[in-house]
Parts: sequence; structure tokens; C-alpha cells
Amino acid sequence: MPDAKHGHDRETRRLWPALALPGTLWLIALFLVPTYAVMAVAFSGNINIFGEPIPAWNPLDWQFDTFLTVLSESVSGIYQAVWIRTAVYTFWALVICVGVGYPVAYYSARLAGKRRGLILALILAPWWINYITRMLAWVNLLQDDGYVNKLLGIVGIAPHSWLNGNSFTVVMALAYGYLPFFIIPLFASLDRIDGRLLEASRDLGLGSVRTFLHVTLPLSRLGLITAIVITALPMAGDYYTNTIVSGSPKTSMVGNQIELYLLQGPQKNLGASIVLLLSFVLLFFMLYYLFLTQRAAKDAR
Amino acid sequence: MSFDPNDQGSRPRRSRPQLARRDVLRGGLWVGVGLGAAPLLAACGNESSGQVVGGAAPYPLARPDHPVTLPIKDSNPPIGDGLAPESGGAFKILNYADYMAPGVIKDFGKKHGVTVQVTPYNNYDEMLAKIRAPGESFDLVFPGPSVLSKMAYTELIQPLNHSYLPHLKNVWPEYQDPWYDRGAAFTVPYTVYGSGVMYRADRVSEVPQNGYDLIWNKQYAGKVAVLDDYGEAIGMSLLRNGLTTDINTSDPTLVQKATDSLIELIDLVEIKVNINAYSEVPEGTATVHQGWSGDAIASQYYLPKGETPEVLGYWRPKDPAERVIGSDVIAIPKSSQKPVLAHQMINDLLDNAIGLRNFGWNGYQPPLTKLSARYLVDQEYIPANLMNSVVVPGDFATGLTYYEVSPETEALWRNNWSRFKAGA
Repeated sequence: MPDAKHGHDRETRRLWPALALPGTLWLIALFLVPTYAVMAVAFSGNINIFGEPIPAWNPLDWQFDTFLTVLSESVSGIYQAVWIRTAVYTFWALVICVGVGYPVAYYSARLAGKRRGLILALILAPWWINYITRMLAWVNLLQDDGYVNKLLGIVGIAPHSWLNGNSFTVVMALAYGYLPFFIIPLFASLDRIDGRLLEASRDLGLGSVRTFLHVTLPLSRLGLITAIVITALPMAGDYYTNTIVSGSPKTSMVGNQIELYLLQGPQKNLGASIVLLLSFVLLFFMLYYLFLTQRAAKDAR
Repeated sequence: MSFDPNDQGSRPRRSRPQLARRDVLRGGLWVGVGLGAAPLLAACGNESSGQVVGGAAPYPLARPDHPVTLPIKDSNPPIGDGLAPESGGAFKILNYADYMAPGVIKDFGKKHGVTVQVTPYNNYDEMLAKIRAPGESFDLVFPGPSVLSKMAYTELIQPLNHSYLPHLKNVWPEYQDPWYDRGAAFTVPYTVYGSGVMYRADRVSEVPQNGYDLIWNKQYAGKVAVLDDYGEAIGMSLLRNGLTTDINTSDPTLVQKATDSLIELIDLVEIKVNINAYSEVPEGTATVHQGWSGDAIASQYYLPKGETPEVLGYWRPKDPAERVIGSDVIAIPKSSQKPVLAHQMINDLLDNAIGLRNFGWNGYQPPLTKLSARYLVDQEYIPANLMNSVVVPGDFATGLTYYEVSPETEALWRNNWSRFKAGA
């Protein structure tokens, strides 16, 4: 019955877009509207009695002076140091994540056998404790008379000042805070690698090291990039980790600068401009990531 | 903006291995970026007040030689006489942390059958953000003269009805009719304090002639902090470097120089920025900390067991004309759900006994005539080595005070402060 089949087709044609509706509404509510609000504040040309920008909801009223100032100050000016610091901290925190997280993900996905469930649970266990509480615990460990310095004292190393704007502490805290985000996607990717490919590699005479380098690593590349992206984005915008373990202008990151403008004082147009700029920078990396995943998907077919 | 996240959803999909997980991750990332912008929405909610053009202040700027009568508008009248105080539910106070004695708060709650909630802030910026949050209501707030005009002109606070405040007569005469609020129409005074440098006397061998130099001393690196308050920090730098005694200056060069000097502190002493002098100095986390005189007096209550107040020190300029003096006030937000009870609490805080009890906990002097400096020292509320943290009425005639300034001047100071905060 061609008619019935036709009707069924029409039904499914309506059904699939309908399924996308909740997600679309969600994205509009939580992404497009806030983004537009950020732009309306960043491109505002007027201030109210408190010195705050009056959002310019009409794009025709947009003025770009503030944004351009922020842009030029970011390239060479007062925000330059903040951007460089953010990039450097994020980079090193990612290096630590790869160094620590990859072996853990590899072990739990490939070698843990029956205990993998337990290991995954242990990786996620810290998540049962509030992030800020965990960071405050670090403050206790790292303070001048804290356990870390006491431990160093036992082996004869002079106590170190960890919490006074110490870049190393900030990088470590970032890596610690976001490590599970890094491990989980990587685990999923390593877990999917077909064991027969590894067996084939062994059968063809490659040792375990070369099997890892030539089979496992390339096959987990996309998972690795996903893990890097998913941790790098929040790290780049993080401010409270920094506030807790440093609180010094010496380690101020882009997120701290945004916080200063949005939560302290009326100059929210400056904060909104930095938000936009950060979004553009992250968007660039997102697009690169999407490009890689598309290409990988094409290769897979 | 050049991208549209909806493209992700509407893009034609082919069946691909591993697609589902990656798409979920991808979707999560977009949402994450969106959520990051959420605080901004709060900024957009309430721009009821008129827009401002140019640098002139849209409200009068009060000065001791130019006192201001804050306007009582028909849209914002004081409460009527003889109303019964409200009871039950929450009584909400917007205040600095640790700025009112818990015992005073508890007793008040018990007496009137209310749950007293304190919402803390670190500086007036946070206070203004919280009091202006749409849908939020507070019953009591503790601003200072430097933000008062704009709060009265935008009707954030309501006029007081003096018939509920018989204890107002207890305060220093000049505060019954202060220059920033003639006739105490909107506010009563809460505390008076000076700004200076707190230090650990057991770790600082010598206090230089210019005590501000303690902050710029490499010897104490890692243990030095300035107040998280752009006015106090930049103002101190202006004074320390002898740039000017006008701590409300609108001269860009001076503010820039003072800020440059603050920025030097980042490398010189690994400067920290917070308002916790009252706890960090006695606990030893800080050796030198810019602080208010009230912090110095309160710090004796934060000493670890076994330590005596002798380890504490407080420096302010000897010359009263060089001293920075400030005062905080109590006001009732217009949003108050319990305005009668709020009057009641104000009256309580101006009571000599309750005022003394409050001072005995927070260290900040109430300008109550009976609680003179002499009396407080005799009653051993102030240790002898912290004597110069006492404020006397005459200080205000000679000292330096942060005033409410024009938006242009405020922006100048803020821009420099953010330069410091960026660690540039």
C-alpha cells in the first residue's frame, strides 16, 4: 500500500525534527540568549547612575569602543600578562593531565580486568565532595605550617611558601581539579579499541611498547583530543581554583579578570568584552576539534 | 556572532561509529560556554535608573564643607509612627562578615521571634550588587558615606522615622547631623575607624617613620597584604609615596603613579589582597597587613592560645592631619519586609550597653558619647599597645576621608585597580 508507506514517511519526517526540539530550546535558552546578553552588555554605549553599562538590546545601538579597547589591551597592554598566564597555566596543567591521566585511563581500560568498575568508581569518588572543599583541603596541606612543609622538613628541605601567588601551585591545583574530566573520555576511547587489533599487532611481531605506539596511541588519539578539549575549556575560564590556592595578582588568569569586572564594581562592559574574547579564542579551538572529529569520522567510513 | 550551535542539531546525520558519545560531549561543551555567561544576565535585569552622560555625578557629592540633605521622595516615604514591630520569619542583614556580635544577633532574634540571617560582602561593590539583585529583600544594611548619595537617590534605602530611635541622642553630636546625611534622615552611624598598618610586633624589629613602608619591605615577602578595596589600597599608596594628601584625587597621573607603586609590590613582597587583617595577623598568616583600626582591636580575640596582645602592633601617622578616618552607617533598605523591626534593631545598636557588647566583639568603635576612648581603655577593651587605633571625635575635623566621587573619577581609580589585579 503505497499510500500508507507515504504517510509513514511523512510521520517520521516530522518525528525526527520534533525530537530535536527540546535540545534546541535548551540551547536557545542557555546559550544563545546569554551570549546575546553578553554582547548587549559588552557593546553598550551608556551607563546608569551606578556606572554600570545599560545593555544595548538593539544591535543598531551597539558601540564597539570598549570591546576594541579590551582587544588592544589584551594584545599589548594590561590584559596581556593575564592571557599569557592563562595559556601557560592551561598548557602545563594539560601536560600533567596527560602524564598522570593517560596511564590511569590505559590501565583501567585495558589491564584492570574485573577491577575496572572499582577503579572508575575511585576516580569519580572525589566528585562526591564539593570542588571548593577539595581545594580548601589543599590550602590546609600547603600552608606554611601544613603537612607538605612538615614532610619536606623531615627530609631536610626548607619550608616553601606555596600559597602566595605560586604559579606551580595553581597549575597543580588546576590539573588535580580537572583530572577526572580528562580520564573518563579517554577511558571510553581506550575501552573501545578492538582487542583483536592489538592481538594482530603482537602476532605480526611488534612488542608491547611498539604496539602501544603504533596501534593504541593512534586509535586513542581522538579520545585524547576530546579529553584535552573538555578539560582545557573550563581550565581557561577557571577563577575560583586560583582564588583559593593563590589569591595573588601574580597568578591572575582571564577568569579572575572577568570575575573582578562582573562581581566587583560596575564596569561589566569590560568583563563582558573579555568574556566574548575568551569565547572567540575557545571557539577557535572548538572548531579545530570539530574539524578533527569530522575528518576522523570520514576516515572511519 | 558567526556560529550557530543549532547547526549541530540540524546538520544531516549519518550513522557513524562513536558518534553518540562525542556528540554528547560536544553538546555539553556548548552548554558549558553558555553557563559561563550566566552571571552577566544578573547584570542586565535592572537598569531602571536613568542613564548617565559624561563624567558629572547625577547626585550631589557630599563634603564636610558641602553637607548634603538626601531627598525624601513621595515614592519612598518613611514608615508611620507607632507601628507594632513585625515578628516571625527571617530578619535579613546585609553586612561585612564578622561585623556584628553573634550574641547581639542571637538575642535580638530570640527577643522578637525572628531568624536573623546575615548575608556577607567584602566591599561596597558586592554590597550594591546584592542589595540591587531583583527580587531580593534585606532589612538592614551597613554602607558608608562614599556610596550613600547614589543609594538614596536610587531609592535603595528608605528614610528613617526618628520616633523609633530615641537612642540616637547617645551618639556624638556631629553624627546626629552628619555632613553626608543632614539630620540623619536616612542613616545613623555604626562605627568610626582609622586606616593604617597592622603588624606582628614580635616579627617586625623596627617600625619606620613612614609606617606604610612596612608594606614595601622585602623582608616580609610572602606575608604582606593590602585591603581588597580600591580606594584604601590606592589611597594608601598615594600617601606612602607622598604624591598627595588628597585621597579622592581625580588626577590621572597621581592615581597611575600610586598604582604603579602597588604593582611593584607583586614582585617585591608577593602581595596578597584581602580584608582579613583581624584574623591573619594574630594567626600569623600575615606579618604586615593594611587594616582598619577596628581590625587591630578585634585581632586580640583571634590570637592563638597562649599568645598575648603584645605580639600585635598598629601604625597610623602621628600627625592627625595625615590620618585616614572613616565611618560606616546603618540604613534600612527600601526592600525591607520588617521596617519597624529594623528601626528597633538600629535603636538597640545605639544603646550604650548593646553598643559596648558589640564593640567588645567586633573591635569597631561605635561613636557613642558614653563609650569614650578613655572609658574603653579603662575598661580594658583596648590593650595599651594598640592605643593608637582609638578614634576620637576631633579626628574627623582634621583627618582624611574617602568621599563619594564623580563616576569619571571612580572609573579612573577602578581602571587602575584592575591594572593591579591583572598583575601586569
